[in-house]
This record gives sequence, C-alpha cells and structure tokens, in this order.
Amino acid sequence: MNTKQNTLTAENRRKTVMSVVLAVICVIYVLPVVTVVINSFKLNTFVKTETFALPTAESSAGFGNFITGMTFGNYPFWKSVLYSAVITILSTVLILICTSMAAWYITRVNSTFCKIVYYLCVFSMVVPFQMVMYTLSKTADKLHLNTPWTIPIVYLGFGAGLAVFMFAGFVKSIPLEIEEAAAIDGCGPLRIFFSVVFPMLRPTMISVGILEIMWIWNDYLLPYLVLDINEYRTIPIHIQYLKGSYGTVDLGATMALILLSIIPVIIFYLTCQKYIIKGVAAGAVKG
Amino acid sequence: MAEVNLRHIVKIYPNTEKKKKDNSKTNLKVTERGVIAVEDFNLDIKDREFIVLVGPSGCGKSTTLRMVAGLESITEGELLIDGKVVNDVDPKDRDIAMVFQSYALYPHMTVYDNIAFPLKLKKVPKEEIDKKVKEAAEILGITEYLGRKPKALSGGQRQRVAIGRAIVREPKVLLMDEPLSNLDAKLRNQMRAEIIKLRKRIDTTFIYVTHDQTEAMTLGDRIVIMKDGVVQQIGTPQEVFDEPANLFVAGFIGVPQMNFFDARLEKEGDKFCVKLADAVFPVDEKTNEKLLANGVSPMDITLGVRPEHISLQEGANTLKGTVEVGEMMGSSIHLHVRSMDQDVIIIAQTVDMDGKHIETVSYGQEISFSFGAKVMHLFDKETGESLTK
Ligand SMILES: Nc1ncnc2c1ncn2[C@@H]1O[C@H](COP(=O)(O)OP(=O)(O)O)[C@@H](O)[C@H]1O
Ligand SMILES: [Mg+2]
Repeated sequence: MNTKQNTLTAENRRKTVMSVVLAVICVIYVLPVVTVVINSFKLNTFVKTETFALPTAESSAGFGNFITGMTFGNYPFWKSVLYSAVITILSTVLILICTSMAAWYITRVNSTFCKIVYYLCVFSMVVPFQMVMYTLSKTADKLHLNTPWTIPIVYLGFGAGLAVFMFAGFVKSIPLEIEEAAAIDGCGPLRIFFSVVFPMLRPTMISVGILEIMWIWNDYLLPYLVLDINEYRTIPIHIQYLKGSYGTVDLGATMALILLSIIPVIIFYLTCQKYIIKGVAAGAVKG
Repeated sequence: MAEVNLRHIVKIYPNTEKKKKDNSKTNLKVTERGVIAVEDFNLDIKDREFIVLVGPSGCGKSTTLRMVAGLESITEGELLIDGKVVNDVDPKDRDIAMVFQSYALYPHMTVYDNIAFPLKLKKVPKEEIDKKVKEAAEILGITEYLGRKPKALSGGQRQRVAIGRAIVREPKVLLMDEPLSNLDAKLRNQMRAEIIKLRKRIDTTFIYVTHDQTEAMTLGDRIVIMKDGVVQQIGTPQEVFDEPANLFVAGFIGVPQMNFFDARLEKEGDKFCVKLADAVFPVDEKTNEKLLANGVSPMDITLGVRPEHISLQEGANTLKGTVEVGEMMGSSIHLHVRSMDQDVIIIAQTVDMDGKHIETVSYGQEISFSFGAKVMHLFDKETGESLTK
C-alpha cells in the first residue's frame, strides 16, 4: 500500500515537472503573438517603453492603430490584401494539383527519369533562396512572371520540392491494387488519379496546403524582388512602408497590420485541423 | 459470359538485380531474358465455366490471372476473350471484373458508391445504377451497410462489397485472386458456400485463383494445377483426384497427402504387378492395359496410395508397421504409422455403419495393412510422371 502510494506520488511529481516544462515552452511560443496583440492596441510611444504591459487607459490607442494601418500612404490596403490572397490561393492550388500528380507519376512509373526528377526535387529543398534570388528576379522579369497572376509559377518552382517529397511518401503507402481495381472498373489514368488517388491524398493535401499557404502568405522577399512594387504590393510588403521616409516607424500600426495579416492563417489552420486525420486509407485493404 | 482462350501464354519478368534474390526461393527458370514466371500456358475456357488455378505460392497463378485482366503484359502467346485477341487491349476495355485478395475497395467512397463506381464509369442511367446496386447488395446481404465506408466493415463484409462491385457490371469474365485468403477459417467456409450459390445466380465465366486445394476441389468445374510457372494438369476435380498426372499433383490434391512408396514394377507375361517389401500387388486390368499401351517395361517406380484407400487387415500380402500417432477426427482417426522406414498415414473409421464403435488401435501397436489393386497410382521414379496417362 505504502509503496504504491510512493510510486503514485513519484509519477505525479514527474507529471507536474513535465507540465511546467511544457507550459514554459508554450509561453515562449505564444509570447511573440501575444506581444503583437497587446501592442497593436497601444499608442506608438508606449510600444517601446512598456512593450510587455497590457494597454492601460493612458497607453491604449483603441482601434486607432488598425485605422492608421489600413489607411496610411497612397496605396490602398484592400489592394494588398487582394494581391496577397490571389497569389496565395493560385500558388497553393497550382502546387497541390501539379505536385500531387507529379508525385503519383514518379512513384508509380519507376524509370530512371523519374528517379532523377525526384532527387532534383529533394535537392531543391536544400538550396537556399538567397542563392538564386538575383538570377531569379531577372528571369522572372524577362518571362513576365512579375504579376500576381503569373508569380504562382515561380512559387510552384520553389514549393515543388517539399510537396513532391511529401506526396510521394504518401502515394507509396497507397496499395497499388486499389488503382488496379479502378483500371479494371473502367478508369483511364486521368480518371484513376482524380477519382481514386486524389481523394485519398486529402490528409497530405491539407498538410502540404497549410505549409504552402503560411509560407506564401507571409513571404516577403520573393514578391519584393519579382513584383513591380509600385503596382502590386502584398501585405508584408505593404507593412514595410509604415517605415516612413523619415526613419520613423509607427510600431503600433505595424503591430496592428501584422495582427490583421495573421488572422486569416490562424482561422484557416483551426478549421482545417479536424481534417488532418490519419488513416483515411485504412479499411481499403485487409485490416 | 464469354469464352476465354489462352494460347501458349508466356510471362517473362526482365531480370533486375533485386528480384533475382527473391527467385532463389522458387524454382523458376531463369534465362537471359529474365525470370519465366509462366511457361507455355494453354487453356480453353468454355462459356460459363468455373476454372480454378491452384498451386503453391509463387507458382505464377496471380501472374496468369493478371495477364487475363490486362494488368500484366503478355510476353508471348495469345489471349482471346470472346474470340477476339485482347493482348493489347486496356483492362478497362476487356469487360472483365476482378476481386482482389486485399479487397481493394475505394476507402473514400461508401459501400454504395464502391459498388456503383464501375456502372457510373459506364454512364449507366442513375435509376438503373440504383436498381442494380440494391440488387447486388441484396444477393450479398450487405444492404444495411450501403451507407458505410469500407473501414467500418469487417473482413467478410468487405469481401462481399468487393464481390458486389465485380458482379454489378455483369462482366464477361469474373476474375478472383485468392478472395478468401484473408478470412478466418469459419468465414472462409461460409463464403465458399456463398460463392457456389452466387455462381448459380450469375451466369458468367469465372477464373478463380487459390492456393487451397479444398477450395479448388469444391468450386471448380475444372482445375488447373500449376507449379513453378508450369501447368501440371488440367481436369475436373474428380479427374485430378483419381488420375493425377504426376507426383506433384498426386501430393497436392487430397488431404491428408497421398502416401508414396518406393516400389518395383514387374512384368510376368502380359501381367504387371507391383512389388513392395514382401508383398506383391497385381495391378487391375484397366491399368494393365494402359501400361501395355504405353509400352512400360519393368522399372523402379513410386507407388502412391491415398490414406483413405488403405485398410487395416491381417493375412497374406499385407504390410506391417507400428502406430506412432493417432489424430482423432471424430468419425475417423488418422493413424501415423511407421512402416518400411517411412511415415504412412492411414485413415481408419471409428464407427461402422450401425454406429458401433470399431475397436481402436493403441499407440505402439503393431498393425498390418493393405490396399486394393484399383487405388494404386504408379509413377515413374525418375521423372515423377504417371505411368498410366
Ligand atoms: N514484378 C516482378 N518481377 C519479377 N518477378 C516477379 C514479379 N512479380 C512476380 N514475380 C515472380 O513471379 C512468380 C509468380 O508470382 P505470382 O504469380 O504472384 O505467384 P502466385 O502463384 O503466388 O500468385 C513469383 O516467383 C514471383 O517471384
Ligand atoms: Mg498470388
């Protein structure tokens, strides 16, 4: 009895320690976001002096920062939201469709060519963007890939590596017999892909989709280098213009805009979370 | 409903370093072109016939079936369905259906959609699809599961869905690759009986693959027995049981396995007899004629006798042995007898026709046994081929 109690308390203690450690890690992760939220409601002067304090009656700016953020300068904020959305959605859709098909082909057709393409994709993941960015911006200009409607092609190139890698891993786990059954049931290759393989890829689609959306939505450098800045600004580029030409920064407004820009991503993540279920393929074959 | 003709079908898998290792386990022939998985397969399947391909694993059954389905290319030979050569026709245009060992259901579709899928692809009108799916579900007893996803079904139910998907489209040929192997023994027997019933309801040509000889015997109109990519014998269940073409077939068909003895075939005048230990067994007339017709001369042979054809009896011309193990099966007992330095299995009845218990033998007991002339199977000792083909 006694020993049992002892082990119980030992276990409890271990649990408590774990909880504390995890809580600390959690706080470290959440802190930047919380800081942004707090400071977006503070007057600019208080952002620097009382960074971690909650807004008080004295320091509160109400929604003033948001209004400033959305109205400053002569470039309308809604336009940058629109361009960000267009680029993110087009690019993600393009990446998901193209790379899932490519990954399926690479996995199922086991030729040397496919192996080379696969390893090129993997290799592209380790090449830093900064290494290719100048030649890229030049090439993109030449090929007229410098508008929000065409820049998704550039994103496809950069996003393909990871996406193909992830999709290929999943396709390998789909039993070939399901596709053979579809072939016998009357599907051509395209039908097999879109009616059978594509729906089964959904969990990976969502994981890849989230990664790509967060990356493209928040990306600053690529659109900055490639797009014609006077005409097309994405949100991250737009935020940067809060840094006035006099070297002053309206930190409160910056925080407000950052908060606005991360809200869609958070909403998206929370709604999709429940779809990230493993084992969609379970039950197809013997179980 | 269609005839299927396989003419000199050959399948060669090109050699790859990795696969070579796997093949060291089987005895497939390897040439410079690759591994010969199926060698010169000839079979004319009649309309509405139920053909079973049977053999140990790795003997090329699935490969043959997949060539018929169009999932595997045919290296040599001709495949005809309904009189048309279909070697280069896509699976979807062959009008066949297939049931896989792993069921291969579409996990993202409900049972209803799984069964309806081939009809949808054929652009069958909605009402007709609905009617056919419900009919198939009725036949297979899965009506109540139509709204479920495959992962919410048990193995047996999944297999029914897979069969449903195959039968709704009324294919010319229905292919099944070990459809019952993933089920437990009881369910397997039950499903086997249902396949026999199903077969009566749907008029189509069946090709069924299994490694289980019981399934082959109970289901097939004709059985094709394969080994190492080579067809050993084609015949009705009765034929392959009564007249196995070689040692392999003799050993493969029938449970428990046929007993084999090293014996000597002798000839006195026009009469053949088999000498085994001290006993001499004259062959029966029909066998004698065949041996004469085949021009067989006295030689060393392998004599095969099925356990159920051996009887315990005293007297002259019997063989002696010691009972080592007895497996009680209920109405019969399988005796493992040590005789002539080998194991002999004898099936002895425990109850006679009047229900009286026959005196059972005890372990270690010396017994003598014998068999009649008609139940002997004679095989060439060197080639293993039957001498009475
Ligand atoms: N893709 C392949 N490449 C090389 N050898 C193969 C391939 N597929 C099957 N084989 C070989 O062909 C033989 C027959 O296989 P299979 O038809 O699946 O046997 P089973 O009778 O058990 O169904 C096996 O020995 C297997 O090793
Ligand atoms: Mg097989």
